[in-house]
Amino acid sequence: MTRTGEGRDARAVGRSVPRVDGAEKVTGRAAYVTDCVVPGMLHAALLRSPLPHARIRRIDAGRAATHPGVSAVVTGADLVQMPGLDPYFGPAFQDQAILAIDKVRFVGDPVAAVAAATREAAREAAQLIEVEYEELSAVLDVQAALRAGAPLVHERLRPSQAFADLMGIEAERQTNVCYHFKLRRGDVERAFAEAAHVFEDTYTSPAAQHAPLEPHVTVAWVTEGGLLHVTSSTQSPSYVRLSLARIFGLPLSKVRVTVPYLGGGYGAKTYDKLEPVTALLALRTRRPVKLQLTREEEFVTIHKHAVTTRIRTGVAADGRLLAREVAVYWDSGAYADIAPRVVHKSGYTAAGPYAIPNVKIDSYCVYTNRPPAGAFRGFGVPQVVWAYESQTDAIATRLGLDPVAYRRAHLLREGDLFATGTPMRSLAVIECLDAVAREIEWGSGLAGSSPPAPEVREAGVPRRVLRGKGVAVGIKAALAPSISGATVMLNADGSASVLSSTVEMGQGSDTLLAQIVAEALGVRVPDVQVVHPDTAVTPYDTITAATRSTFHMGNAVLQAAARVREQLFAIASDRLEVDPDLLRARDGRVFVAEAEDRGLTIPEVFGAAFQAAGTTLVGEAVYQTSAIPTDHETGQSERVTVMWFVGASAAEVEVDLETGQVRVLRFATAADVGRPINPHHCRQQILGSAVTSIGQTLFECLHFEGGQLTNGSFLDYMIAGYRDVPPIITPIIVERAHPEGPYGAKGVGETGALSVAAAIGNAVHAALGVRLRDLPLTPERVLQAMREREPARAARRGQVERGPG
Amino acid sequence: MRPFKLLDPRSLDEACQMLDRYGEDVKLMSGGTAILILLRQRVFSKPYFINLKAVPGLDGIRDEPGTGLRIGALATLRAVETSPIVRQRAPLITETFRLVANVRVRNSGTLGGNLSHGDYRLDPPAPLLVLGAKAVAVSSRGRNTYELKEFFRGLFETALQPDEILTEVVVPDAPPKAGTAYFKYTSLSETDWPCLGVAALVTPSDGGGTCGELRVAVTSVAERPMLLEHLGPLARGKRLTERLLEELGDAAAERVDPIADARGSEWYKKEMVRVFVRRAVREAARRAGLAAG
Repeated sequence: MTRTGEGRDARAVGRSVPRVDGAEKVTGRAAYVTDCVVPGMLHAALLRSPLPHARIRRIDAGRAATHPGVSAVVTGADLVQMPGLDPYFGPAFQDQAILAIDKVRFVGDPVAAVAAATREAAREAAQLIEVEYEELSAVLDVQAALRAGAPLVHERLRPSQAFADLMGIEAERQTNVCYHFKLRRGDVERAFAEAAHVFEDTYTSPAAQHAPLEPHVTVAWVTEGGLLHVTSSTQSPSYVRLSLARIFGLPLSKVRVTVPYLGGGYGAKTYDKLEPVTALLALRTRRPVKLQLTREEEFVTIHKHAVTTRIRTGVAADGRLLAREVAVYWDSGAYADIAPRVVHKSGYTAAGPYAIPNVKIDSYCVYTNRPPAGAFRGFGVPQVVWAYESQTDAIATRLGLDPVAYRRAHLLREGDLFATGTPMRSLAVIECLDAVAREIEWGSGLAGSSPPAPEVREAGVPRRVLRGKGVAVGIKAALAPSISGATVMLNADGSASVLSSTVEMGQGSDTLLAQIVAEALGVRVPDVQVVHPDTAVTPYDTITAATRSTFHMGNAVLQAAARVREQLFAIASDRLEVDPDLLRARDGRVFVAEAEDRGLTIPEVFGAAFQAAGTTLVGEAVYQTSAIPTDHETGQSERVTVMWFVGASAAEVEVDLETGQVRVLRFATAADVGRPINPHHCRQQILGSAVTSIGQTLFECLHFEGGQLTNGSFLDYMIAGYRDVPPIITPIIVERAHPEGPYGAKGVGETGALSVAAAIGNAVHAALGVRLRDLPLTPERVLQAMREREPARAARRGQVERGPG
Repeated sequence: MRPFKLLDPRSLDEACQMLDRYGEDVKLMSGGTAILILLRQRVFSKPYFINLKAVPGLDGIRDEPGTGLRIGALATLRAVETSPIVRQRAPLITETFRLVANVRVRNSGTLGGNLSHGDYRLDPPAPLLVLGAKAVAVSSRGRNTYELKEFFRGLFETALQPDEILTEVVVPDAPPKAGTAYFKYTSLSETDWPCLGVAALVTPSDGGGTCGELRVAVTSVAERPMLLEHLGPLARGKRLTERLLEELGDAAAERVDPIADARGSEWYKKEMVRVFVRRAVREAARRAGLAAG
């Protein structure tokens, strides 16, 4: 494991430099889309469907149109009459109309939009729109949607052509399955017949909210020359530009998408959300228009997929995993959004990072009349990890084997083939597992169980509790193929600018990209300015998501900076009369490697090349990864991704035997980050993922009744807060340099989220001997599971315990 | 939210007159923590609100020998929580109020607003019920005192008449040697609304060793906060053994009709009534110097 890149000179990279945007953010000066005010700006509001599935018979917008302050009211019926407008959008299927046309498909589906002088006037006017619906029978969950003869959420579908990996997707005809991923490897049935033990279970993971601090918000206006300018809270500016250009029939150059700081995304802000309707209103009124969701609207805009996983594993007497068959059902809601990719990418990892010769996976993307589900940190992988890591634990326990040792014995190693037939590389999963097990002192006491809990007192009252420890691992593949372009501009004074479409959404990309450029050009990190996404000047980038920016944009920026350095060295080598290969850049100087005194400052190099002040040297690069598409029938591909990211979690929990409440006492989570560019930021990412996931494991769940979300606000839906964080929580960086990563780095945005739920579930099992298969692990479910295991005891309550008298 | 006019009365009399004058078109507002949410969600609106914070002198906290604590309705939850007099005279109130919501809500919300709102998911009613508090209300008709145990009538429903303003809460001194405890249980996030709350007060009997008086109140679980008066007689004169604690928990659960929600089903909440009544009584007994078991 040698350090890649310029290891010896490393000064900006590999150090925990402070965030370049830190002071601006903690002092409240950082500007977000919500702060954007354009002179003459109107405010928009949406009228949403109160029904899960209905035909729109008639809309009367008359009273709304004449409401004071209203500039425009638009409905789906208007859209179809607008020349040159394609009203449908979506990254996988163009299945979502800007405003519902003909029918509505979920409670919250936008039906009409109003632009008015104030937000209040727009909202009042929206309430004055009268809609007559003909209610249709709805499919409110996956089971209902899959039933033969079930009502169809979409009668026909049109694939989008925006992404290479989604070009080939086909929906099943006349069903609600919009995508079915299949993986076939070996002969599963024969292996099951030969297995000594067969385990079969069904695990579920519920719908959950992203809860970004900043709800979705978009401002759109048309400037001189017919340029459509959209500033938006999006993680995918390049895609939004493409989508708007297509919808409105504009050249790409006439759509300008800008993204300032983003107030948290977690996947919620990927692809197009409010941009089409806001742009439509701006084009219609020829005025700037702002649309900002309320928190309640945010809850019905996008969420994490509810998933049901049926998993069956055949095991040899000695514990070898012979076969695994997994069927995964994804409730994608009324519109596909990016769900087919979630179903594909998580689907092919659903058997886990284990050596299993026979694998069969079916992963179904199912439309229902619920709000749409989409990308959420981990992109579906945490839901399948919950299933396969709970079951792997059950197997080890049943065979009387130590869960850590059992996993170690069967985890994939370098060069082994994944279920897709892809050879594994740069995969420090065993190191991650070892690190977390060590951190929670695995093995002190019986495998998985803690030493007996001391008497626990709360406010002086003894509580009956049991403790247990659990571990889990997880694997996810980087999105491939994907593309990042970047421009680096070095200024004559030794400062630099980076033009990149990576969105700074709190993950620290501004700092990271500045570190890479500072390292490559030998300049100071604070002197590197990262220009925020502006599609008029920043090159194409696939998306800020999927743990891809460090690797992809990092490489693009590194290559662009290298091109600047080449020019710098070419000029300096003339002046210094040395071979450019012997030159190095550091501390704002270019100098000879073996004779550091011989050199020039960056301003001197510029002075040698240009007879003017304030000049620039520019380098550009496009970094592209390739992949071989998985086979349609077998899911096989020799190169399904360029980068795997793996992690492990370990938990020690305490369960209150009277309430069923699970408290995480100690938590450790490790991520293979390649080489960290900024170790502190890596740990923060791992920690953030873990805390979010702990909330989803223990209590987060969106509840629906008749298609209506019943806890869609922060009054009734809590995410993990400060007091829910375990008293001891340790993020761990595991380093194994990736040969293709910038300075050996991989991404880390999602790694910490993958295995949290399963580790906690396994710890609960170790404590109680009860396995829970449904998330979240609410106290009620835990108590119920304990009672079900001991029905006799429950029945005896009040007799035996109290004694015969 | 729909626009409204905020009226600033300069005295309690003027506030009462405003209530009379605007009738159905007006509602009282103090800290605003609950009402602003309802306004924003458009589930409630009024053209006028009376800003009780404009009336001076309604936020005092004092101890009146022979009567007890007198807490002004406009005292914020935070002021009550941090009051040295309250801590000295009724530590149960201090213990409970520091668990309400978060410090931002406590800094804004008032005791009077909290009680008048009649929301079932609130902590403050429980300790006030076991301490035998009274609510004082005024109207242009005069002055009225409600026993707090008769104040809560149902979901968002109190005994207050539309023309009445809650001005003061009177908390009698606890019986000598009383031990008190409040247990708040959140079944989801720790910062969530409670799944339930239980307050208990126990005094040792004159001879010691056995239970004298026992008072228990549960909140956040059923339609209204309730004083479970049937528990006292079950415990009087008895040793608070684990077996008796269990009987008390069962007797409490029988009387409570929980509201099922995301925080627990009816079954689960009944189970938790059993558990937390036991825990609260056990702890109150311990603090009263009575060994449990």
